[in-house]
Amino acid sequence: MRQSQDSPRSSSSHVGVIVRLAFRNLRRQLRRSILTAMAMIVGGWLLIFSFSLGDGMHETWIDSGIRTSGGHVTVEQPEFQLSRKIEDRLSTNVRQRVEQALESPVIKPHVVAVSSRLTVTGLASSSAGSRPARIIAVDPIDEAVFGTLDEQVIDGRYLEPGDELAGYVGRGLIDALDLRVGSRFVVQAQDTEQEIAGQLLRVVGIFETGLSEIDQSVIHIPLVTGGAWVGSGRDVTNVGVVLTDSEIVPVVTAYLERDLDTSISTGDAKVMDWQESNPPLSAAIAIDNFGNYLVYGILFMIIAFGIVNTVLMSVLHRHREFGVLQALGLTPGETGAIVLVEGLSLTAISGCLGVGLGLLTTWYFFGDGIDLSSLAPDDMEFSGVVIDPYVYPLFRGTRLAQVFAFILFIGAVASIYPAVRAATINTVEAMKFDR
Amino acid sequence: MLESPWLRIGWRNLGRNRKRTTLTALGLAIGFAANVLLVGWVEGLQAEMVESATSLVNGQIEIHDAEFRPDRSMFDTIGGRAGVDVDALLRAVDADTAVVAAAPRVYAGGLVSSGEATSAGMFMGIDPARELVLTRFLDQLVEGRLPVSGQNELVVGEEMARQLSAAVDDELVVVASGADGSMANDLYRLVGIFRSGLTELDATFAVMPIGDLQALMVLPPSRIHEIAVATTDPWIAETTALRLRDTLPGVEPAIEVVSWDVLNPAMVDYVALADSMHFIIIFIVFGIALFGVANATLMATYERRREFAVMLALGATPRSIWSTVLSEALAVALVSLVIGAGLIFPVMVWFHNAPPDMSWLLDSDVTLMGALLSPSLRVEYNPSFWLTCAVALIVTAVIAALYPAFRAGRTPPADTLSGL
Amino acid sequence: MNKRLVGMVVAGCVVVPSLVTAQTDPLEIMNRVDRLLRGDSSRGVATMEVVTENWEREMTMELWSLGTDYSLVRLRAPRKEAGTATLMADDDIWNYLPKVDRTIKIPSSMMGGAWMGSHFTNDDLVKESQLIDDYEVELVFDGDRDGVTVWEFRLTPKPDAAVVWGHIEYQVQQDNYMPLWTRFYDEDGDLSRTMTYSDFSELGGRLVPAVMEMQPVDKPGERTAITYQELEFDVDIDQSFFSLRNLQRQR
Repeated sequence: MRQSQDSPRSSSSHVGVIVRLAFRNLRRQLRRSILTAMAMIVGGWLLIFSFSLGDGMHETWIDSGIRTSGGHVTVEQPEFQLSRKIEDRLSTNVRQRVEQALESPVIKPHVVAVSSRLTVTGLASSSAGSRPARIIAVDPIDEAVFGTLDEQVIDGRYLEPGDELAGYVGRGLIDALDLRVGSRFVVQAQDTEQEIAGQLLRVVGIFETGLSEIDQSVIHIPLVTGGAWVGSGRDVTNVGVVLTDSEIVPVVTAYLERDLDTSISTGDAKVMDWQESNPPLSAAIAIDNFGNYLVYGILFMIIAFGIVNTVLMSVLHRHREFGVLQALGLTPGETGAIVLVEGLSLTAISGCLGVGLGLLTTWYFFGDGIDLSSLAPDDMEFSGVVIDPYVYPLFRGTRLAQVFAFILFIGAVASIYPAVRAATINTVEAMKFDR
Repeated sequence: MLESPWLRIGWRNLGRNRKRTTLTALGLAIGFAANVLLVGWVEGLQAEMVESATSLVNGQIEIHDAEFRPDRSMFDTIGGRAGVDVDALLRAVDADTAVVAAAPRVYAGGLVSSGEATSAGMFMGIDPARELVLTRFLDQLVEGRLPVSGQNELVVGEEMARQLSAAVDDELVVVASGADGSMANDLYRLVGIFRSGLTELDATFAVMPIGDLQALMVLPPSRIHEIAVATTDPWIAETTALRLRDTLPGVEPAIEVVSWDVLNPAMVDYVALADSMHFIIIFIVFGIALFGVANATLMATYERRREFAVMLALGATPRSIWSTVLSEALAVALVSLVIGAGLIFPVMVWFHNAPPDMSWLLDSDVTLMGALLSPSLRVEYNPSFWLTCAVALIVTAVIAALYPAFRAGRTPPADTLSGL
Repeated sequence: MNKRLVGMVVAGCVVVPSLVTAQTDPLEIMNRVDRLLRGDSSRGVATMEVVTENWEREMTMELWSLGTDYSLVRLRAPRKEAGTATLMADDDIWNYLPKVDRTIKIPSSMMGGAWMGSHFTNDDLVKESQLIDDYEVELVFDGDRDGVTVWEFRLTPKPDAAVVWGHIEYQVQQDNYMPLWTRFYDEDGDLSRTMTYSDFSELGGRLVPAVMEMQPVDKPGERTAITYQELEFDVDIDQSFFSLRNLQRQR
């Protein structure tokens, strides 16, 4: 090794030396390095596997949750969420503004579905009796894309364009009113003139979700019919949008709030994201994430111990070598740096391998989703959302970055103590003995 | 085995390289601690869920007239039209050792009206003293106090109070169908507001003393709809229900005694599902720890190859080398167990008795399978699982040491001693 | 209920004798009835007996009506409930409860509920629809049944009518235009409930069925029977009579 001069070049050549020494040592203790690496590889693999499935599961929860309620982002009259009265509806004007805003080139690429709905609380009656009902007037095509109720049909069919007196009714309500496909029934509610108005409907399809609050009270009817019934014309009670990914939500919310600025200030509209309109779901996801972080925090602590063990051992065996290096001019800091680089590169390489393996295998084997239905009970429900037992992995850039940063952090932390030990070697003492 | 030199050598070797031993032991100890904590937390959540489902409002066992479910007609009282000796029945239920509390209930549907709005409501007549022991939803009223019998007082849920724009001390009109067909009505004073956390409850229930509701509905005191029962442990409810069915005095027409797992089978399935996950966690955690221990043991045996060479040269068999290495691993395992247990059991006791509140993490209550979960790091004890973990820890350590032990036994004595 | 009651009563009878012809045009008959009813007002006293599986009750009430939009019913007996009153005005219902001296407006979710525990629903009471508005009427039988010459009409809901019945049949006696029964069917053609009219007497200067009884088919032992003791037509009341203030008066 050439003696370094006090020149600007010296530090860069030292860096080269440091790195080369670090790598050479890793190679020299191959078996040990590999074993340690294995732990990190498995850890990285597990981390990616678990988080991609976890993120995918959360996204499914969110998707299910928002499709049965107002969407990722929903616009309503501010009073409506609590009052549920027809007076608290969005005027046709505001409705059109929102629909237009969602067509804008900034937002449109992220939009999966938009549905404008008129929700009315009323009474459903048949010749056999009557029950309170929640009647939701929708556009059949929009709603079929937006929501999942159309897929839960057990008899008949969902609403279609051109339907007028059609009602899509839940199984619980069907049984209570003794109806079947084709039966006539009547819905009544207070219209915009404060009078009770009735509307004839015929059952065109029957659904079953498994959630009794929905099966026993929800009825879908065509939007036009609803508007004619309560006299609200083209007004609606909410406009909801389903986006491609829940990460876009803040962007869309901000855009809509800017666009509807005037309406918001006059109290005619309010833009809400799904966390606001569905707090229990948001909480459920937070808990699940927390559990995951806890598990992985612990796992990586264990892995970190393994790393510390390995790196420390190799330091303690190389007293002589470090002694010689320092005698030849390497500063204690640089000696420590060697160890740090060793630990970090071991971690980084094995981490990359693990993550890469994780990505590959998860995508390859589970890209089509894991079917957990054999494990889960039939009607699993979490915060009002029926759990779909199919889990699809979701790979997010931010998550990957998080994982890498975490792995490197662990590697760095695990290498600190050994690096410090290496840096504080007493050169003279070190070279005295054989080992 | 304790007399065998190999175990002694094993123990002694632990002290040889304290740092390494400590680190390895720590890794295993953390694995153990993690398993215990995680499973404790998951079981805490489950227990919370089951308790919430059964002790918030419902009780672990319900006794009704056999016809009462599912229609819940007000006329299907226990003992039919003649009713029962309620006190005697309650005493008989209380007498069972597994029963913590039993309370009578009467239900009715009707209307509640404040000056400003009218809401459809479900009325529940309770015995306040017994109810407080049985359920939790009235323990902490948002406002006010529990109703006193004979004073026309009632409490409603928070959501109903909001819908009626009613506050404590307001006057409410109650209208219900009487058992004689009359339109029963009376004025009541709102003396308290409760929040159970379950919106259906908070929006539809109005609670008053059982005698008052019976009087309103023109039902004699002997006619009640339900006796709700709490048992010492939700999981013995089923057997307790069976026992009660046999020991309770005969009632005509027939009564049913049904436990919560019959009323809520989905929740039972969910708990079984969560239980099956325990083994996955053990597997993952100790799987990872395996590498660390294998590594450490390998390093250790490599370092001591001269020692092994000497032993072999002096006539020890490879088997005895294995014994040494394995007993060292066993020793590390035991030390880890002690460390791990020492680390985690105080935490478990702490979290079990005073679980830290997690509500900073969430902004609302979560429901799971229809039951309310309060956000806290509550843990449950599971000694059999702990034993499994301990065994897993020891097994991990031993398995990790197998290959190094084997390799150590094959140390070539001559080559090693000559310096290769 | 009162205007429905009166409506049905008048549907079966022709007031002005000189207008009696051998016409069997159902629409004509009903139109005539309806014309007689419009702008009409009435006052009456009746007892209502309700028999259910679990209890039996008898109530005495005083009833007023104005046209098809307004009516007021006040209980006189049993004494415990005397003064309880129901006001129907323009599709809204209010109940006055004398015991607590309060008035409650019935929300739409309670419209399916039984009125005063009877087999009539709150909804029955406020239905603005006149039979002729919501149904097509057709004569299906003209002849003898058990020695009585009757017409039988079949009412089928008009395409958009917001009514729950599949069809309604009623039988009218030809010689005095008295209704004999009304049967309500669901869309499968199954009978759901039957209203029978009997005890034809002269009240308030007209021949009317003094007793009307409603029987649900799914609960054979149950029934609600209304018996008129007094009835006057074209009384001197106007819209102001049907007010909340009046609802609360004890007399």
